Amino acid sequence: MRKKWTVQKTIWFFMIILSLVLVLLPIYIMFKYSISDRASWITGGQYPVPWFPFKPNLDMYRYYLSDTRFWANAFLSIKVALLTVTLSTLIGAPAAYALARFKFNGKAVLLVLILSIRLIPDISAVIPVATIFTNSFLYHLPIELKVALSHTILGLPYVVYIAQGVFETIPVDLEEQVMIMGGSKLYAFTRVILPLAVPGLAAGAIYVFLLSWNEFIFSYFITSTTSASVLPLPVYLRSVFGAFTPSPVSVATLSLIVSLPVIVFTFIIQKYMIAGSTAGAVK
Amino acid sequence: MIKAIKKNAFLIWTLLPAILFLLGFFSVIVFYLVKLAFTHYEAGMATSMGIQNFIEMAESKEFKEAFLRTFYFVIFATPLQLLTGMVTAMLVNKKFLGRGVVRSVFLLPLAIPTIVTTSILLLMFSQGGHISSLLLGQYSFFPKVVNTEIAFISKEPLAIGLSIFGKVWRDTPISMLILLAGLQAISEDQYEAAKTMGASSIQNFFYITLPSMLPAISSVLVLRSIEAWKEFIFPYILAPTFPVLGVLIEKYYIQLQNPSMSAAIGMILIVVILVGTFLLNKLLKYLNNLLVKA
Repeated sequence: MRKKWTVQKTIWFFMIILSLVLVLLPIYIMFKYSISDRASWITGGQYPVPWFPFKPNLDMYRYYLSDTRFWANAFLSIKVALLTVTLSTLIGAPAAYALARFKFNGKAVLLVLILSIRLIPDISAVIPVATIFTNSFLYHLPIELKVALSHTILGLPYVVYIAQGVFETIPVDLEEQVMIMGGSKLYAFTRVILPLAVPGLAAGAIYVFLLSWNEFIFSYFITSTTSASVLPLPVYLRSVFGAFTPSPVSVATLSLIVSLPVIVFTFIIQKYMIAGSTAGAVK
Repeated sequence: MIKAIKKNAFLIWTLLPAILFLLGFFSVIVFYLVKLAFTHYEAGMATSMGIQNFIEMAESKEFKEAFLRTFYFVIFATPLQLLTGMVTAMLVNKKFLGRGVVRSVFLLPLAIPTIVTTSILLLMFSQGGHISSLLLGQYSFFPKVVNTEIAFISKEPLAIGLSIFGKVWRDTPISMLILLAGLQAISEDQYEAAKTMGASSIQNFFYITLPSMLPAISSVLVLRSIEAWKEFIFPYILAPTFPVLGVLIEKYYIQLQNPSMSAAIGMILIVVILVGTFLLNKLLKYLNNLLVKA
């Protein structure tokens, strides 16, 4: 009995180590390339690529962080993400509140609508969306608004889903008391419920921010059909490693710069991230 | 009428923006997708309406190949994600020191932008990269496997395999979380009872864990297969010369400037997903009945 337990434990321990290596190795490689010197990646087949650079340096970070083109793209990404957060929260939070608190005709229809827009594959939905942004009066909208509107299609269902859960945790008694004292529904919502819901809503907002920051398909289709000169970071990264002879160091550095804020924020909102990514599977 | 509006003013003002936004984009997407798919373009000009796009598509070798590749992508990536999700879920389901840290590390791939994941894989599997050096036997700890360098991106099975690997690497955390929720719902009593009857851990797995996990497993398979059908980024970056359906859409829309053809493929993709999910559900129901009877 005792021995069997040890065998199992050994296998389990081995599997944990193996899984950790599989997850962490690519991330380490990205970090390693980003601080590599030239001799550490141009080997000419003479020697294997080293697991740690011969002369580690931060040159590429210095280059990108003082590059105006990089900053223009980064600011576009930030603007798009903030616009997406604002739009989806402004539209989504009130709707989520109504869904959480009231019974009304057509509630089921609204829920189906929210779901069905996410059931259309992004790669199919992007065709009409990119088309109306290039071939209609919407062409004249600024590029950040175009991309943000498309990201709101993706973010809004998540905000409604997360915010509905947040509102449901706040006791109804609070509103009832406001009403008894003569306050309106609007007053109860804006002055009593919203302040209480802020932490949960903030997590939803960060989730949508990251969704927009990472998004590639919509950003790529919309910016490449309108021949924009400033690109959201994922599309910019793609253009860097799609170049004729991309330098692994610049690709890795840019990749790391793009991922860092995401990794940091993800750990802050891990709980809600889980709710978001498994939404639909649980409910 | 006006009274009714006044009475429900709060409800209307909270719901209307969301309804208008979603309904607006939903109708735009559906309407233009169908309209474009049934318009035929020649040299960038709309010439006629009809099902010509679909006929052309049905006759083209490129489309058939892309469809087959997508199919392979789905039937390999979906079970693989179930397997990796199951293994990682069972690993962190045990109580041990540093469990929280390990679980957070397992969630890391979810936190990295997809485009970044593809760029790392591209670096690792490029010529003169780590995997090449490894397979050529240049590191002392690993035996020599091949004599000449492999170009992963330019060989079809390898390129598709690499994009499947990337997809599985990135999306395992999602399967893990769903399966972990399923695992934690199984009560300890069942294992205790089995233990008193002298069941081995393998019996435990097949007679308690697996049957209780069937709902979670089904939902992983269904959700992951839908994601696999519509996959774009991994094959687009890692297997650009061997397009799957999603990559074909990009090719027609952006490179060949033929939105109607890409809309036709986009519509076919939606139908394929619906049919595929329907069939998978049938299969899962059948398997479920089989297991429950036994």
